[in-house]
Amino acid sequence: MKCSTFTLLTALAILLQITGLSLFILGFFPIKPALSGVSGPESFRPPSCASTQDQNHTALHPHQLKSLYQKLSEIPPSYDRLILLVIDGLPAEFVLGRDGQPPSKTLKDAMPYTQSLLAGKMALGYHAKAAPPTVTLPRLKAMTSGSIGGFLDVLLNFNTQAFLEDNIIGQFFRIGWKMVMLGDETWLKLFPGLFTRHDGVSSFFVKDTVQVDHNVSRHLSYELYKDDWNLLILHYLGLDHVGHLGGRSSVMMGPKLREMDEIIKMIHLSTIQSHESDHRQTLLVVISDHGMQENGNHGGSSYEETDSLVLFIGPGISHVSPTYDTINQVDITPTLALLFGIPIPINNAGHLIADLFHPLEDHQLLRAMELNSWQLLRLLQAQATDSTCGNLEDASSSLYLDAAALHGSWKSKNVLRSASGNDLKSTVLAYTEFLATASDQLSHTATDKPIGLLVSGIMTMLLSCVMFMGLLYKMGQEVYPNKQVHKFQLSEALIGGIIVIIVLSMGSSSLVEEEQYLWHFMTSTFFLVLLHQTIKSNTGNRTSQLFSVAVILISGRILKGWHQGGVNWTHLPDISKSLEILGSPYVKLLQIISILLVITLCLCTLSSLLSRGSFVILIGLSYLCSGLLVLHYVIKYQGSESETGTGTSGNDAIVAVRLIYGLIIASVTVTVIASPWFMSFESKDLVSVIKDSLYLSGTAYVFGWCLLQLLLQQSVNSMVISLLLVQIVATIYYASRSGSDVKQWVEIAAIYYLGMAGHFSLGNTNTLATIDVAGAFIGISSHSTVLSGVIMFVITYASPMLALLSMVMSVSVKETNIILKNNEVNTGQLVKMFLGFPCLVPLGMNSVLLVAYTVILLLMRNHLFIWTVFSPKYIYVVVTTVCVLVGVLIVASTVTYVISTAVFLRKKKPSS
Amino acid sequence: MKKNNKKKSQNFSPSKLLLSHLICGIGLASSFWLAINVFSINLIDYPVQTLCLLWLVQAPVVILVYSFFQKDKNQSSYLKAVARGLLGLPVGAVVNALGAIALGAPVGSRYILRTLNWSLLMSAFTFAPAASVYCSSWVDWHRIFANTKLIESVDYMICIPAYGAVIGAWFGAWPMPLDWERTWQEWPICVTYGAIIGYLVGLLASFGFVVRVSRQRVKGD
Repeated sequence: MKCSTFTLLTALAILLQITGLSLFILGFFPIKPALSGVSGPESFRPPSCASTQDQNHTALHPHQLKSLYQKLSEIPPSYDRLILLVIDGLPAEFVLGRDGQPPSKTLKDAMPYTQSLLAGKMALGYHAKAAPPTVTLPRLKAMTSGSIGGFLDVLLNFNTQAFLEDNIIGQFFRIGWKMVMLGDETWLKLFPGLFTRHDGVSSFFVKDTVQVDHNVSRHLSYELYKDDWNLLILHYLGLDHVGHLGGRSSVMMGPKLREMDEIIKMIHLSTIQSHESDHRQTLLVVISDHGMQENGNHGGSSYEETDSLVLFIGPGISHVSPTYDTINQVDITPTLALLFGIPIPINNAGHLIADLFHPLEDHQLLRAMELNSWQLLRLLQAQATDSTCGNLEDASSSLYLDAAALHGSWKSKNVLRSASGNDLKSTVLAYTEFLATASDQLSHTATDKPIGLLVSGIMTMLLSCVMFMGLLYKMGQEVYPNKQVHKFQLSEALIGGIIVIIVLSMGSSSLVEEEQYLWHFMTSTFFLVLLHQTIKSNTGNRTSQLFSVAVILISGRILKGWHQGGVNWTHLPDISKSLEILGSPYVKLLQIISILLVITLCLCTLSSLLSRGSFVILIGLSYLCSGLLVLHYVIKYQGSESETGTGTSGNDAIVAVRLIYGLIIASVTVTVIASPWFMSFESKDLVSVIKDSLYLSGTAYVFGWCLLQLLLQQSVNSMVISLLLVQIVATIYYASRSGSDVKQWVEIAAIYYLGMAGHFSLGNTNTLATIDVAGAFIGISSHSTVLSGVIMFVITYASPMLALLSMVMSVSVKETNIILKNNEVNTGQLVKMFLGFPCLVPLGMNSVLLVAYTVILLLMRNHLFIWTVFSPKYIYVVVTTVCVLVGVLIVASTVTYVISTAVFLRKKKPSS
Repeated sequence: MKKNNKKKSQNFSPSKLLLSHLICGIGLASSFWLAINVFSINLIDYPVQTLCLLWLVQAPVVILVYSFFQKDKNQSSYLKAVARGLLGLPVGAVVNALGAIALGAPVGSRYILRTLNWSLLMSAFTFAPAASVYCSSWVDWHRIFANTKLIESVDYMICIPAYGAVIGAWFGAWPMPLDWERTWQEWPICVTYGAIIGYLVGLLASFGFVVRVSRQRVKGD
């Protein structure tokens, strides 16, 4: 087959893969079926089949609408004003304790006023269970609209858009409330134009823990004095930032909690207590959007992350004790809506917190439950697959009918004044049961998936996978013709076996969670087999080969121990934890050692080309330069930031980082572009020109990437980067020494596996919580979603990308038996020889994993862990596909450029 | 002449081999019996003690049995073969421990004794019998363990159970990352079970091979 045919077919397969993937994603992660429109006066009437939507209420003046709602709801609003104090990332455990145990003494002491409120029954506190993904944007949406967000909200978290679904903020706006927002600017993006006054702070400068809260508090006394608002939202980000920097037990946590306690005290004293005699009643609701893990990250579904807080503090609350301690976060929405006499948002899935309605009269409590039931019933009816109106076959409708019947009989008895406490109790119980069932059902609704879209997506991906496999097979046939009788080699069989095992293991949720063990186990097994094979073989330089395999195995073992990773055994000790305990001087020392190691390795690899003239020395100098700059940056700026947490080392650091970015990018580009030209001067032999230029370019990619990672990664991870580099260089060295013993595709697959194993050694897991958000803003002064997204990708996919980039280096040192006849230079043939396997092997393996995982995701769609384990993993698989495509594109274009330039220069030479 | 001599010395009858395998198997079984009935310990609750007992019983049995099959009987005595086997035991333990650690066995003070005892047991399965049979002949070692070129019945007897134990241990590590929260998932309990099962299967399989080889030899003669 010709080179052009190969290229075309590969491009076609890639295109098919992308198409299939997009189709599948569109089908699998649909925008969740939500009712459009907003709740209006009709929400105070029982749901009926003929949806008689009277639209005339939109024309009403806000105040008219407000009184209409009051008349219809039959419940006088308990409060006039609401203060929503959002403390980002505060785990409820800090305030309420866990499993019935009070929080630890230090935590209690940190929030004395809040604890005294709770102890004096002036406040009602609940653990509000947040639904995953536990990141701010979807949580804010859930709390204001009462609906459980779709999974893709996480990806939109960094690209906030106006919230169009029905929500309480919009409802408040419609009845003419004046609203003030101070804090996280996410609110402003979600609800543009609804706030009378606002001061947004960005949540993107994670290293800032002081200023971000000061910017909220500075307006507080003014706003509390001002008195013209109905809703005051305060969103404090500092605690979340403290967590991201130092984890739950950070030294900054205590002072931050104290600061929050002071704010609660200030609001309580100035507003609620002073107005207690007044006719205006203010309700203070302290909520947190999510909790945090021990290390301060969040996003997943562990108890630590989903355990968020809600505290109701207000005059009516006094002397009500909570009957239960855990609610769902979405329950806040209907509770607030009913307390303030606005329609419950149309897509709400929560049920009211009955404790808060106990101060009301009995018929009002029942009315509130009835309103909530009607709203949930409407939503259930709308979501029922057969849209036969009101004909819900499930238990929930009969529960509703029971409750409604009891309510009816209670009403008639109440008129006759013969209603007993038991009647009330049973009615409340019936409503509670219905509300709980309906709410549960709505939260877990398995949304219908367009099966046609999914199947066509999978089929397209499968087709592309088959194409890749066919191309690989064809390539194998051409490179290894039948000249040698095919000898069975365990290492080759193992390459295939690993893929099969990984694919099979992905069906188990615990193996997805603990994938790092699998990759390490498989990769080490492969290299042990290689060790065995080396001992067996009699050719080649055995001692150095044995040595390099030993180096790979040892570094692999150290890498495995660096981060415990996973979900179930994260608490076990590992190297990174012990380093953090040892303190920053040791971390810094290791960091410096690893930078020096990378620089030394770089210069050593370059030194083998020293005879090729001054160009190589120049390149070496430029890397030395950027390496030293990274070293300088690390010594001067990095430690101070994480220690003080203020991160105001400011412009100097940013300039330094940008200088390094610039230098690395410039030297890599110049090296890659210029190397074939310089090498053509130095040598006459075409193959050696190509190999030397590829070697130079490969070195440039690998070391440029490593230096970049040393700059961007967390400081504990710098040793990991250098060990990964050692592993990859050792593999390339091993393969170059073994001649034909190790086939090229085996070598490339091995490097790919090393990259995947290294991905987990850097502390990545298959939950979204381990993505290093703090690192994504290094060297960026203003908030740019695209740039920080790119840096986040660079940090997270450091290891697979390194493996892919090293392909350029690996092809350059591989023994090739290309015999060139004097004037017959076939560029296409050369490109195919150099590029065939390095492109096809990663593409093929990744496509197998992608297709397999897509099928598994489809099979597991009703699994309990679909949203918490399998979907995040799928996001990772998709981004890995992107990574592989980008990496292969870089490798392919570099090799093609180098070869075509070299051939072009050679053709020009004789004529000149 | 020499070849003839060698062949003569290595031509063991299948019944003899069956007997030796039986002794090995019975040794393993009796050590389990001892652990459960006499010391009332088991692998799950007392892994260190049980592993220690297992190798303390198994290693002498294996070394004593396999020393009968040593090569070059003319040159060295039975006692010397036993001594070589005893020497091979710790060396093999080191190799096994290194291999296990490379594959991700936990290191740290909590696990040192477990790893030590486990690797001694593995050595009794793999290394010690080979040491007492092949002594320090590098050629034989290389032939058996690197090239897997098995010629004589003794080769089968040593190689196949050893490979069985290693492969069994490899598969035994599989349940470890699952979140079933069972004690037997801890290092090295399920790995030991895997190794023992693999070893027993290896014993059976090697006997089958030995019978086949000896039949071929009879035909050849």
